[in-house]
Amino acid sequence: MYLVADISVEICAAKSCKLCTQYCPEANTILYSDEMGKDKGFKYGSAYVAVDRCKGCAQCVWVCDNMAKNHAIKMIMIDQLPVAALTDNITYGEKSTTATLVSPTVG
Amino acid sequence: MSLDYVKFSSGFEKFMPKEYRDMVEHGPFGKKVSVSQMGSFKEVLEEHPMCAGCAMTLFIRLAMIAFPNPEDTITVGTAGCGRLAISQAAIPFVYGNYGDQNGVASGLSRGLRLRFGDKPKDVVVMAGDGGTADIGFQQVLHSWFRKERFTTIMLDNEVYGNTGGQESGMTNRGAVLKMAPLGKKFEKMDMLQMAKVAGCAYVATVVPNNPRRVESVIKKAVLIAREVGSTYIQAYTSCNIEYAIPTDKVMEDAKNVENDRYQFSEYITDEAKQFLTERYGYKEFLPKPAAPAPGLPKA
Repeated sequence: MYLVADISVEICAAKSCKLCTQYCPEANTILYSDEMGKDKGFKYGSAYVAVDRCKGCAQCVWVCDNMAKNHAIKMIMIDQLPVAALTDNITYGEKSTTATLVSPTVG
Repeated sequence: MSLDYVKFSSGFEKFMPKEYRDMVEHGPFGKKVSVSQMGSFKEVLEEHPMCAGCAMTLFIRLAMIAFPNPEDTITVGTAGCGRLAISQAAIPFVYGNYGDQNGVASGLSRGLRLRFGDKPKDVVVMAGDGGTADIGFQQVLHSWFRKERFTTIMLDNEVYGNTGGQESGMTNRGAVLKMAPLGKKFEKMDMLQMAKVAGCAYVATVVPNNPRRVESVIKKAVLIAREVGSTYIQAYTSCNIEYAIPTDKVMEDAKNVENDRYQFSEYITDEAKQFLTERYGYKEFLPKPAAPAPGLPKA
């Protein structure tokens, strides 16, 4: 098993700084969804991680902790994530993306 | 070489991988995208075999977003880590022999001008410090002396990272590396001064811990290279393997190095300033309005 980044929607959707999307070295790995936060009653959308592309470098954790000071991202073993976004289940829209969350180990 | 080269032949849509369909339908081709929209559109860069947490990858990712017309751009590279990611993008990539990337780009840029005339086709060289300052040094400098109109970007990780950690011309004096155990005995090459002396129209240093600045610098360099002359960007993109930087501290290191020896600097000729202002509406080079005259003292 290996570590991947996991973003807390509750913290992210309250701030929505989007810094992690700009600092991830992997393309289209940290994506942004308007629905993910607003559907739960938060002011903004939230960033989320396409875990099949995450290499586990934790650069986003440093950026969220030290630059944004939001502490919304933690590294977590992939088999301990009940649901996560996978590239196959992500749909791009005009200004945002939507993801159907599934179990990352079953797919 | 146009927007059409990425589109599907009719009837083949359903056989294409999801990533490709996303790229055609929601990619940056034919649109204006910026760093602030990252995470909401499909990027031209795909998955690549570079190390986890590599700052060079981040810089390449930002550069691909910053290209003013990605559908009209060709990248040229050479041996080194960078080409592992640059070649995994939906932008045509030419792989030169080691060190001849600026020679290849010279021919390419001249050929494109003959073929397409005034329609801008951008050529961008992205190579490492070894490819640019050591092995390709002669061709790089001569392309600048000839004022070839394309952009050269040096991905400066200050080491030969791909081959086990030998010192390069851009390694700092005293740096101890796996294949340079006694420490480097010479100073780091001053490529910025050389670029200015050789006649580049735009020279900048940048560190990827400021994505908006990376975007703005690359846009300016590519636009200036369309008509004015050679442009050069030197980017610090640390090698976290050879310099043993923990992956989650890569941005901290970038910040420290920026404060230490890689401060942002920008050199732009008057001709390039005028070109950006008149052709592309840049306002930052306009003369500042004169301060209002101080009022007369009250009697």
